[in-house]
Amino acid sequence: MTNTENLSPDERYDLGAHGRELILDARKIKVDFKVEGGVVNAVRDVSFQLHKGETIALVGESGSGKSVTARTIMRLLTKRATVSKDSRLMLGGRDIYKMPEAEVRKLRGNDVSMIFQEPMSSLNPVYTIGQQLCEVLHLHNRISRAEAMRRAEKLLEEVQIPEPGARLRSYPHQLSGGQRQRVMIAMALANRPDILIADEPTTALDVTVQAQILNLIKDLKAKYGMAVILITHDLTIVKQFSDYVYVMQHGKVQEHNTTEALFANPRHAYTKHLLASEPKGQAKPIEADSPTILQGDKVKVSFTLKRGGAFKPDFFQLVAVDSLSLNLKKHETLGLVGESGSGKTTFGQALIRLIGNQGGQIFFDGQSIHDKNREQMRPLRQRMQIVFQDPFASLNPRMSIRQILEEGLIVNGIGANSRDRVDRVRAALRDSGMPDNILSRFPHEFSGGQRQRIAIARAIALEPEFILLDEPTSALDLSVQSQIIELLRKLQDERGLSYLFISHDLKVVRALCHRVMVMQHGKVVEEGPVEAVLTNPTTDYTRRLVRAAFEIAA
Amino acid sequence: MSEIKHTAPPLPTDIGAGPAPTTEVTPTGVSARFQGNEGYATLVWRRFRRSTMGMIGLVLVVTLLVVAVFGDFFAPMDPKRTELPFAPPDVIAFEDPAGNFSLLPYVYPIGETGESDPITFQPLTGAEKDNPTPVGMFVKGHTYRLLGLIPTDIHFFGSTDGRTIHLLGTDKFGRDILSRGIVGSQISLTIALVVVAITTVVGSLVGIASGYLGGQFDLWVQRFVEFVLAFPQLPLYLALTSLIPVTAPSNIFIAFVIGVMAVLGWAQLSREVRSKTLSLARIEYVRAAIAVGSSDIRIITRHILPNVLSHVIVAVTLAVPSVVLLESFLGFLGFAVKPPLISWGLMLQDTSTFSVIGSYPWILSPVIFVLITVFAFNALGDGLRDAIDPY
Repeated sequence: MTNTENLSPDERYDLGAHGRELILDARKIKVDFKVEGGVVNAVRDVSFQLHKGETIALVGESGSGKSVTARTIMRLLTKRATVSKDSRLMLGGRDIYKMPEAEVRKLRGNDVSMIFQEPMSSLNPVYTIGQQLCEVLHLHNRISRAEAMRRAEKLLEEVQIPEPGARLRSYPHQLSGGQRQRVMIAMALANRPDILIADEPTTALDVTVQAQILNLIKDLKAKYGMAVILITHDLTIVKQFSDYVYVMQHGKVQEHNTTEALFANPRHAYTKHLLASEPKGQAKPIEADSPTILQGDKVKVSFTLKRGGAFKPDFFQLVAVDSLSLNLKKHETLGLVGESGSGKTTFGQALIRLIGNQGGQIFFDGQSIHDKNREQMRPLRQRMQIVFQDPFASLNPRMSIRQILEEGLIVNGIGANSRDRVDRVRAALRDSGMPDNILSRFPHEFSGGQRQRIAIARAIALEPEFILLDEPTSALDLSVQSQIIELLRKLQDERGLSYLFISHDLKVVRALCHRVMVMQHGKVVEEGPVEAVLTNPTTDYTRRLVRAAFEIAA
Repeated sequence: MSEIKHTAPPLPTDIGAGPAPTTEVTPTGVSARFQGNEGYATLVWRRFRRSTMGMIGLVLVVTLLVVAVFGDFFAPMDPKRTELPFAPPDVIAFEDPAGNFSLLPYVYPIGETGESDPITFQPLTGAEKDNPTPVGMFVKGHTYRLLGLIPTDIHFFGSTDGRTIHLLGTDKFGRDILSRGIVGSQISLTIALVVVAITTVVGSLVGIASGYLGGQFDLWVQRFVEFVLAFPQLPLYLALTSLIPVTAPSNIFIAFVIGVMAVLGWAQLSREVRSKTLSLARIEYVRAAIAVGSSDIRIITRHILPNVLSHVIVAVTLAVPSVVLLESFLGFLGFAVKPPLISWGLMLQDTSTFSVIGSYPWILSPVIFVLITVFAFNALGDGLRDAIDPY
């Protein structure tokens, strides 16, 4: 870097501009965690200010300390954390860290409230929505039960939940993920807080739901004049919803500026890197006469579920994949897009016979495979591989990297001897962008992106012709995501691989795929070349997906 | 401690961070950050060491096992030698015969003090302060075979002049309770370990097979497991053990008792292993193994078994005390071990009358052995449970 200028002074550039009132002033926040064998500086001298009625965004990749910073405001840190004595956190003229615990408790949920990433686990499954909302209201107000219920209903109405009266009596499992997040927002808003902290509020939700939730927060913010601290890793969201941005990395604020200025003129190298890590480029065109490698014809997958009790059994068929056909050429990438529950993963796994199909035919390189059982499939396994979504679950924690990569070679009898196999393992690691001296390491020593590279190395070590990519990038940080996409594209060019790429993220799909199939409720609603489908979607559903991916605020 | 420092685990700040953005994709930075290759055992040991209770449990368990294996060496007296019945324990005092404080404790045998009770005129007993038993380490005593092989007469401690020493008193036949407790641990722990070994192997195999194969096999195996679990166990133990002819030799009797306990003990573990297997069979690395073409046997031995093992190890350490308790209970009722073998349960049989406990409370001391064993294995199990899944 050429400039030695400090890009993150303690005070923001537009402090108090337009006569706005300062509501939260954090100076030199420093949080340490005690861990085995030392101390981790999770947050290092972070300062930020928040005006009334505005949204600031804390942006950074996982591990950058943004969530810890947010929890510091609520004093919700674990016992292992120590906040430095020099940290000052002024809320309306009072230092939160000089208050007694009882006052902080009054503050939480009343002046400052928070919504979390995971709506599935932040609601208690044994209480109704109404009971949980009333609890929040009772904690800070002395009101009657009936009055609390009435207010709760009004809150649900505000967060635009249909039939709020009936929903009060529902249990969390009866609500969808998006509705649960709305309930969480209602709870957070119950006592009209001055500050709302939204910690990755939409990460666990489907893309189309994301936009709705964010718009809801935006509307409510305008209505009540709240200040919002938005924590996210998604730059599209930041650009649309925040007024001022703090870019965090390794527990430090690297750069901050107004949203406009920051996106127009990123100055810190890390900010530039973040902005540049949106997936871009597109797949190289394939030859027109490329032969078909994988063909599915009217593939149907259904699950038999039991409804009704022991005395009145009632079985019904849940059709996850409803007679879908697909044709994948050599060297081609086909995108399979849809929201969660649309059956795309089931379809993909049925095509390589990891899940049995109840109808239809599947051909791999001209051979029929729909009639083969697991034992008969084994000789073909080497030619078709899979990369899973979650790199933390797809590598056996008890096996070393060498054992993980070597397993496929051993069971398929590839490689003359142990030395030859190790050479192949090393080559696969190098091709996946990993160093080849990690053979005796274990998966827990690696980060998510590195683990995903190892999982890709496991797939390519067998030199397959086809790889099923089951959301390989959705568990990863944005900048790691684009590296993995680069890697996949490079491997395809070098080895002539064919990919079936399952994803809900249309940005990634556009960068990687030749063709795309859009799935909903087990059916294909639209398919065609990537550019055509994404620029000119013909169905409503695709249009919603496209809008959600490229222009969140739609 | 220095070892801890340079082998620090990946810090939270690294998770998902990927390579540094300013450099090209050079994940070689990884090797600079993590030193050494930490295998599973290293990680478990490092976490286990932090648990004080676990470490106490480990030390106690090791001590118990060593004492049991070299039981005759550690027993100060011949456990079968009879002397004065119901002799009270010798007095251990930090006092020399002259009445001065002494850091080295003296052992005073109990004898008649020469005085009598003023009302009943019974002779009173007390420590013979003028006649301490000379105690030493590695003294000569009764002869035995070390590990059943080497004939020797050296004992860990005892009286140097061949006098009797009863630190926990004697039982109704005048046998030394401490020595019997130490030697009895052999039988009690053997029963526990053999039973647990059998139930573990059977339970794990049944559980893995049932969970992995699934379908009809799973259905029927689970119904059978429920059948075993639903059986009223105590009457069954008593009924089964009373089937053995009274004249059967003791070792056959013990083998039968072990068999009965094992038959009724495997079901619970197999349930736990099954549920663990069920969740593992759906996890992605197992699906990835299917995708590279691994056979069922390979998946079970390479992927499922190592991951189930941590659970099984904990289950084993927690199952040992329950079998020790069961043995002492059945032994008390006279259904576990028959004389001349010695076990803790059998020793407790003497305590079945109230008048005996009231007059000679020291014959309850085998309870202490049971308590220590139960505590040791439980503490070890709890420590292991916290440490065994380090990821």
